[in-house]
Amino acid sequence: MSKPTLRPGSDQEWDALLHQLRQAPPAQPRPFFYARVQARLATEASSKAGRLGWVRRPAYVALLGLLGLAMSGDGAALPPAAAAPPSPAARLLSH
Amino acid sequence: MACSLPLSFAFESPAPCADGAASADAELIAQLQQGSEAAFRTLVLRYQDRIYRTAFSLLRSAEEAEDVAQEVFVEVYQTVGQFRGTSALSTWLYRLATSRALQHRRRAAAKKRFAYFTSLLGFDNQVLHDPPDHAHPQALLEGQQGLHLLLAHIGRLPSQQQVAFTLRHEQELSYEEIAAVLQTTTAAVESLLFRARQTLRRHLQAPARHV
Repeated sequence: MSKPTLRPGSDQEWDALLHQLRQAPPAQPRPFFYARVQARLATEASSKAGRLGWVRRPAYVALLGLLGLAMSGDGAALPPAAAAPPSPAARLLSH
Repeated sequence: MACSLPLSFAFESPAPCADGAASADAELIAQLQQGSEAAFRTLVLRYQDRIYRTAFSLLRSAEEAEDVAQEVFVEVYQTVGQFRGTSALSTWLYRLATSRALQHRRRAAAKKRFAYFTSLLGFDNQVLHDPPDHAHPQALLEGQQGLHLLLAHIGRLPSQQQVAFTLRHEQELSYEEIAAVLQTTTAAVESLLFRARQTLRRHLQAPARHV
């Protein structure tokens, strides 16, 4: 109900308005707020883990590449073919 | 400030219950930093109403206030290890809540501008006018024109003034507490509040217009 005794814009009206603002029923979160915070934390944690997976992937690729390079260099370490004893056919041809 | 709502800080004249609240918060922080789930639950239950209410006061949307409140507690959980206790726990939480709420508001405003721009180019058929906001419980219950008008004008104040006004008149924080949240001086808070009141009173005295 309006108060006709209050002059519009007066100090009393302003104070009354601020009083109304303070007395307003407080807004509250819906029930089970904590459960929703926990769910959000879990979601964020899983998405972070997913992001980390992508970060790790290039590392795996680089590791695989290094392994491939190491394997491909094995030929240089093998004994040279000249050191092997000549086959009988080669011996016949040489004579 | 009621003792049931502890807001401790190193003030010149602390409330009688402030010391107890400060030590309770310090203990809670210590437990949180050790990874205690129970402490986190206690913190959320202790502060959820205040954080939600602060966000709601700045955004006037239940959905956005819920989002901001959740973000605040998630951030607390993730960064509590870095909390050094130079300010009160409540100050830290209010600071997170107000900055996050303002961030949401800026994002919403940018979205609105983008929607307006795309509608000008004819990309979509979105409605451009502001949807009527009848969300405030008091305005809903009693249909008070004056209060509704006041809330609408509070929403149009510059960010810092709005935060100061809301924390003072809706959360009933002291000037010192508001200064701590805004990381400014008490004199600056007084100035912000003075300008906010002046603007609001000027708008409320003006003949009623479309809000």
